[in-house]
Amino acid sequence: MELLLYDAFNGLIVGMFYALMALGLSMILTLNSVVNMAHGGFLILGAYLAFTLEPYLGFWGALVAGPIVAMIFGLIVERILIRPIYKRDDPVYSLLLTFGLALIMQDLARTIWGPAGLPFAIPDSLNSSLSSSFFFLTGYRAVVVVIAFFTVVTLMLVMRYTRIGIRIRAGIRDLDTVSGLGVNIYVLRALNFAGGCFLAGLAGVLAAGQLGLTPTMGASLIMPSFVAIIVGGVGSFLGSVLGGLLIGVAAGIMTTYYPAASDAVIYGIMALVLIVRPRGLMGQEGMFE
Amino acid sequence: MSLLQLKGISRSFGSLRALEGVSLEMSEGELRAVIGPNGAGKTTLFNMVTGLFPPSAGEVRFDGHDVTGESAERRTRQGIVRTFQITEVFPDLTVFENLRIGVETAQRANALPWMSRTRRAAVERRVDELLSITGLASKSERVVSELAHGDQRVVEVAIALSLAPKLLMLDEPTAGMGDEETDNMVGLIRKLHDEQKLSILFIEHDMDVVFGIAQRITVLDQGRVLAEGTPDEVASDRRVRAAYLGEAA
Amino acid sequence: MNPRYLRLGVLWLLLLTVPWWLPYVGGYTQLGTRVLVYALAAMGLNLLLGFTGGLSFGHAAYYGLGAYGVGLTLKYLAPSTPLALVIGTLVGGVAATLLGPTLMRRRGVYFAMITLAFGQLFYFIVVRWNNVTGGEDGLTGFQRQPLHFGGYVLPLHDVTFYYLVLFCFAIATAVMGIILRSPLGHTWVAIRENRRRAQFLGIPVERYVWASFAVSGFVTALAGGLNAMLNNFTSPLDLYWVLSGDFVIIAVLGGMRSFWGPLLGAIIYLVAQDYLSSITDNWQSFIGVIFILVVLLFPRGMLGMLRAKARSA
Repeated sequence: MELLLYDAFNGLIVGMFYALMALGLSMILTLNSVVNMAHGGFLILGAYLAFTLEPYLGFWGALVAGPIVAMIFGLIVERILIRPIYKRDDPVYSLLLTFGLALIMQDLARTIWGPAGLPFAIPDSLNSSLSSSFFFLTGYRAVVVVIAFFTVVTLMLVMRYTRIGIRIRAGIRDLDTVSGLGVNIYVLRALNFAGGCFLAGLAGVLAAGQLGLTPTMGASLIMPSFVAIIVGGVGSFLGSVLGGLLIGVAAGIMTTYYPAASDAVIYGIMALVLIVRPRGLMGQEGMFE
Repeated sequence: MSLLQLKGISRSFGSLRALEGVSLEMSEGELRAVIGPNGAGKTTLFNMVTGLFPPSAGEVRFDGHDVTGESAERRTRQGIVRTFQITEVFPDLTVFENLRIGVETAQRANALPWMSRTRRAAVERRVDELLSITGLASKSERVVSELAHGDQRVVEVAIALSLAPKLLMLDEPTAGMGDEETDNMVGLIRKLHDEQKLSILFIEHDMDVVFGIAQRITVLDQGRVLAEGTPDEVASDRRVRAAYLGEAA
Repeated sequence: MNPRYLRLGVLWLLLLTVPWWLPYVGGYTQLGTRVLVYALAAMGLNLLLGFTGGLSFGHAAYYGLGAYGVGLTLKYLAPSTPLALVIGTLVGGVAATLLGPTLMRRRGVYFAMITLAFGQLFYFIVVRWNNVTGGEDGLTGFQRQPLHFGGYVLPLHDVTFYYLVLFCFAIATAVMGIILRSPLGHTWVAIRENRRRAQFLGIPVERYVWASFAVSGFVTALAGGLNAMLNNFTSPLDLYWVLSGDFVIIAVLGGMRSFWGPLLGAIIYLVAQDYLSSITDNWQSFIGVIFILVVLLFPRGMLGMLRAKARSA
C-alpha cells in the first residue's frame, strides 16, 4: 500500500511537469496556432541554463533565471522564425519549423553540456523528508507542488481578470475581431508564446531537480504533454493541467502493478478518451474541426 | 408544385434571435429573391436551409419530405445546392478540374479508384456542356485563383450547376462585382431559370438585380418575414419601404 | 512526343540503371536503395499530406510496424521474402486503417498532434514488448531470403535487392498514380483545396480522409518492410517521431503538391544527411537548419518552385 502511495505521489510530481508543459503548449497551440515541437527545447534551455547559473545565483536564483532565459529566447524565436509564417494557412510549416528548432536545441545541448546525465543540486534543506510516515514527501517535492500550483493559479487569474489575459482568450476565439478592435496582435502573440516558453523553462528547472538533466529530457517530457492536452481537451487550459496530472498519476500507479506498461498507459488513456469523448474531458466543441 | 416549405422557423444564438417564426413556400421552377436590411437574417436562413445548423423551432420540408434534421451533405445530395457570400471554389485547380469534381459527384463516382476511358470521356463532355452554358469555355484551363473575382463567382455557380440541383441557392451572387460582371451574372441566372428550368432562391442587395429578374420576393427584417409577393406588390408595400428607407409606417 | 512521357521515360531509365552510374558520382547501390525506400515512404505519406491535406506527423509508426512485421515474419514464421512483405504491409496498413476514425473529424494542428501521439503509442508498445521485439536494442536474427521462381533461385545481394525494391516501388507508384488520376484522387484533392466546398457538394469528407489515411499507411508500411530487409535489422527508431518528421520534410522539400516531389526530396535529404554526418558530429543541428530554411525559403519545395517558374514563363 505504501508502495502504491509512493508511486502515485511520484507520478503526481511528474504530472506537475506534464501539466506545466501542457499548459504552455496549449497557450501556444490555441492563440499562435502552432504546435511547438521545440517546447522540449525550451524545457532543456531553462534546465541547463539554471544548472550553469546555479553556482553564481544559488538554487533559488537559478530557479528564477532559467524560465526567464527560456522566455527571452522564446520572444526571439517568435519574432524571427514564427512571425513570418503566421500568414501561411497550412500548419505543416509551423510544425516543421519548430521541429527543426527542436533538433537544433537538443543537439546543441548535447554538444555544450555533453550527452551524459548531469545532477542538479538542490539545497540540503529540501532534501530531507517532511513526514515520518511518508518518507517520500521531501521538502523539494513539496516545493515543486507549491510552485506549480502557484504558477498555474496565477496564470488562470491572469487569463481571467487581467486585460492581457482577456485579450488572449478573445484572440483564441477570434483573432481577426480582436485585431479589428485595435489590439496589437503581434505583441499579443509574442507575449503568449513567451509565456508558454516560460512555463516550459520552469518545468525544466523543477524537473532537473527531481530527475537530473539529460539532453533528451525535453523530448521525453513533450510527448506526454501532447497527450495531456488531448486528454484534458483542446481549448481548455484547466483541462491541460488536469490532463497532465491525471496521466502522471496513472503512469505512477501503473509502475506499482505492471512497470513495463507505465509509459504505454498514457497513450492507452489517450486512445480511450479519443474513442469515448473525442473532444477531451474539458474540451470545447468545434475546435479544429 | 411546392418545392421548399419553411414552417415557423426560429433560430436563436444564445440570446440573439436571428430568425423568428419564418414561413416560406417556394414552388418548383420559381425564381425567388430574399432581401432585407443588414442583419435581417438572410444568410442565417440560407445556412439553416442548407443544413449548416438546425432550427431552434420549426420545420423544413424539401421536395415533399421533412429534412429538418438532416446534415448538410445529405441535403446537398437531395438537391439543395448553394453558393456562398465569400466565393468557395477549389482555388489551385483549373476551371475544368473544378467542374469535374462536381460532375463526378453528381454521378456518384467519387469513390472510384479508376475510371474507364469511355466514362472519362462522358464526364469530360458534361464538363464541356457546363462550360458552354456558363460561358467559361475559353477559360477552362485557367487556374481559378488567377481569375477575376466575377469569373470566380461564375465558376462557383457552375460547380453548383454540375450537381444538377433541384434547388439552387445563391448567396449574394453579384457581391463585389462591377457593372459588366453583374450583367453577366444576371444573364446567367436568367438563362439558368428560363432555359434550364432551374428553381433558384437567391439573396441580393442590388435592387436593380432583384427587381429585374425575380418572380417573387420575400422580405426579411429583424428575423421575421415582413412581406412577400411579386416585385410590384413588394415595391409598393409600405412596411417594406419603411424598413429600407426609414419612412414612417 | 508528350513531354510528360519523355520525363517519365528518362526517370525510369535512370532508376533502372542506378547500380551502374551511381558509383561514378560517389554513391553506392545501397544508398540508392535507401533513397527508394524513403521516397516510397514519403510518397505514401504525401497521398495524405500533399494530396488530401491531412497533416500526419506520426507516419513512422506504420513504417516501423511494416518493418517489424517483416522482421518477425522472417524470424519466427517462414523464411519467405514475399510473405514477409505482405504481412509487414498489412500490419502497418491495418493499424493506420483502425486509427482513422479517431482522426477523421479533426483538422490542422490537432489532427497532427493526435497522429504524433499515436505514433508514440506504437513506439512504446514496440519498446516495451521486448521479449518479442528485442526492445531498445532492436530486432535481429532475420535475413532477407532469396526469391524462388519455380526452380530458379535469385539471391538478394545489394544489386538484386535494389531491383526488388525498384519493382515494389514501380508497382506502388503505378497504383498511386492511377488512383490520383481517378475520381477518388480528384475528391481527395478537392478536400485539400476547400474542405467546406467539398462538404457542400455532398461529399462525406471524413470518410475520404480516412481512406486516404489508410492507403497511405499501407504504402508507408511497405517501405518500412523493405527497409527492414535492406538492413536485416530494425529498431524502435524506425517508429520514432523524428523519423516521422523526416518523412514530412522530404515531402515538403521535394514539393508536396507534386507526385514525384518526395523522390527528389529523398535524394536531396539522404545525400545531405550522408554527407553531413561524415563531416561533423553536429549533423543533427544542420538537419534542423535545413528544416527551417525549407520552411522559410522553399515552402513549395524544389518541384513546386520549378512549376511556378514554368507557369509564369
